[in-house]
Amino acid sequence: MRDVAIIGCGMTKFGRLEGKDLMDLLAEASLRAIDDAGAGERDFDSVYVGNMMAGELVHQTAVASALVDRINLIPAGAERVENGPASGASAVKNGFFAVSSGASDLVLVAGGEKMTAADTDVIGDLVSTMTHPTAEYVHGVTLPAMAAMLTRLYMERYGVTERHLAMVAVKNHANALKNPYAHLHRECTIEGAMSSIMIADPLRLYYACPISDGAAAVVLCPLEKANEFTDKPVRIAGFGHASDVQTLQEREDPAVLKSVQLASQQAFKMAKLEPNDIDVVETHDAFEILEIVQSEDAGFFEKGKGHLAVEKGVTALNGKLPINPSGGLKAKGHPVGATGVAQIVELVWQLRGEAGERQVKNPKRGFACNFGGFGNNTVIHILERGW
Amino acid sequence: MEQKFTGFKCKSCGRVMYPKHDRCLDCKGTEFEEVELGEGATLLTYTKLYVLPEGIEMPPLVLGIVKFPGGVRAMGQLTTDDPKIGMKLRPVWGKLRKMKDKEIFGFKFEPLK
Ligand SMILES: [Zn+2]
Repeated sequence: MRDVAIIGCGMTKFGRLEGKDLMDLLAEASLRAIDDAGAGERDFDSVYVGNMMAGELVHQTAVASALVDRINLIPAGAERVENGPASGASAVKNGFFAVSSGASDLVLVAGGEKMTAADTDVIGDLVSTMTHPTAEYVHGVTLPAMAAMLTRLYMERYGVTERHLAMVAVKNHANALKNPYAHLHRECTIEGAMSSIMIADPLRLYYACPISDGAAAVVLCPLEKANEFTDKPVRIAGFGHASDVQTLQEREDPAVLKSVQLASQQAFKMAKLEPNDIDVVETHDAFEILEIVQSEDAGFFEKGKGHLAVEKGVTALNGKLPINPSGGLKAKGHPVGATGVAQIVELVWQLRGEAGERQVKNPKRGFACNFGGFGNNTVIHILERGW
Repeated sequence: MEQKFTGFKCKSCGRVMYPKHDRCLDCKGTEFEEVELGEGATLLTYTKLYVLPEGIEMPPLVLGIVKFPGGVRAMGQLTTDDPKIGMKLRPVWGKLRKMKDKEIFGFKFEPLK
């Protein structure tokens, strides 16, 4: 296996992007990444596009074929990768395989979603179709409902309070205010979060991510060739990918995200690293409880103690382990197919020291967690400086 | 005939599962028999959902995870607006929702008197 480097990255602003369709977004992010890599004159071997539901949202299929046509990456082999909201990270993983195996020398990975093309209730229903068709979906189970039930388990068992959820939201909104690409540029206070409307008791609106459009992209090549493009290549040191039973209730312990545990362990093993070697983290905080649970099940904090780390400021931008400097899904936004790629883009900027006002102090290694369901399919990447 | 809430017992290793899998989660066995899970289930967690999916009119929709005496768990609608963790419930057959104008029936959970 060859070492794989990320040599370029780019993204669109996330948000309600009127006047830009899915292909506009994918093209914009891809061209930025190619430009960032200085690879405009090069021929690409493969293209992977993370996208969850273009067919359902914008009535378009085969988006990877459309992208290579639009920005002329012809004749690169192109395909769309779908793994629910982890489509982005799964696309990166495919790109990693293509380069590490020796099959491809130059790869573009993009991810994008045009969520606002549909009404909120249509999107809610599409996302709910990720749940088990007979044991969850028909009963009216939605993703916020699952997050709410997980939250209540955490409150009962570990003493997590609504205030802790609000603290995560406040932190992520504060980080997003420093991120020009973030969807929500709005200060959030504990009192404001705790008085927002109840969507799934005990979850209020401010403990869940917004509906966003957006795209992100990275360019990959073998680490040994990275110096042809950049003096700051970021190495993909490890990845992990694991699944679990689909329904929340059938998990060995419904309060444990076993796929996060397994995928994280795989990634750390491959990278020959441990959780305390990580300097910056991006989590899949589609709901704020998930940032807490993932931070524990990935191994950064003891089980049941993640909320205490939030309380002590450990996960703040200037804390010992900053989580979601980008603003996270909560405030940067969650265009589902883009999210996993955008997490990687943020980590690359952080490692290169190019994250502007939200720059974490001198990070050498980053960790990203992307969900392809409600904790039953997890893709982890560990990145490190390759220079 | 009265509907009973059933799980699926692996004929090889005896593990009872709900929902049904085509291969046992423990031994990968492929033959199962339907078994009743009993009357008294305990509520482990719940939510009151205010943003409702299609075909459910009245908020809140109360959903919960219950645990049957043998350890099998199920998620479903609760018929009470006043759920308490640890309360005992029993499965009752009823209308769950409408989907594309079709009425969907299934088990809900009702507090034991
Ligand atoms: Zn078995």
